[in-house]
Amino acid sequence: MDTESNESKSRYLKYLELVTGPIEDKRRWRQYKARIRQLPENYRTAVEALERYLMHFGPGDGADAASMFEDLADLFERSAADGTPIRDIFGADPVEFVEAFVQNYSVGRYIRRERERFTSAIERAAGEKEDGTV
Amino acid sequence: MGKQVTEMLKGTLEGIVLAILSGRSAYGYEITAWLRDQGFSDIAEGTIYALLIRIEQRGLVDVEKVPSEKGPPRKVYSLNAQGREYLEEFWRTWSFLTERLEQLREGGK
Repeated sequence: MDTESNESKSRYLKYLELVTGPIEDKRRWRQYKARIRQLPENYRTAVEALERYLMHFGPGDGADAASMFEDLADLFERSAADGTPIRDIFGADPVEFVEAFVQNYSVGRYIRRERERFTSAIERAAGEKEDGTV
Repeated sequence: MGKQVTEMLKGTLEGIVLAILSGRSAYGYEITAWLRDQGFSDIAEGTIYALLIRIEQRGLVDVEKVPSEKGPPRKVYSLNAQGREYLEEFWRTWSFLTERLEQLREGGK
């Protein structure tokens, strides 16, 4: 009886998450977009280019991706307020910054998982791993 | 700053930032400015920001949001007990590395 009510409760929460999760993520995404629109033009252009680039990393977990974009908005709002030049934010190689940044989120972890899978496959092929686990 | 410094810095930047924070708490902009003053002129603000997010996620620093005169609040980072432990490990590794490199240099003379 107890387990049954727990089960129905978790089912209900799952359902809630299913319904409200994406709505909450969308709300956060819209909020992020609104914050970016407030930035000075050159900062906005830079963030939008970065946003486009991040899309190529594939989908991450919705809430985590929202956190990622919020962290970006934090950085650029702060930089705009401090008057940090665009080049000083990105450094000589903008890709390097993005690679470091994206590792902190599930979007980046997707790439890392693929790397681990690849490494394991080589280990198996090299005969170092017998059990076939990944 | 040459390409070589940039490459070498990649593996040590985390330790450097933790060492800065062991002296006093600081926000991202301050850390970047300090590093630039010290001659690491190619350091990107974004790289430091990404690093700060990482060490925060790993629980090495405590974060406090402090209101700013202009713009959004600043996130001020300070080293916690776990961060101190990690920094000690970094210095041990650093000592090992520099000793071995020094041996190599002397052997090469």
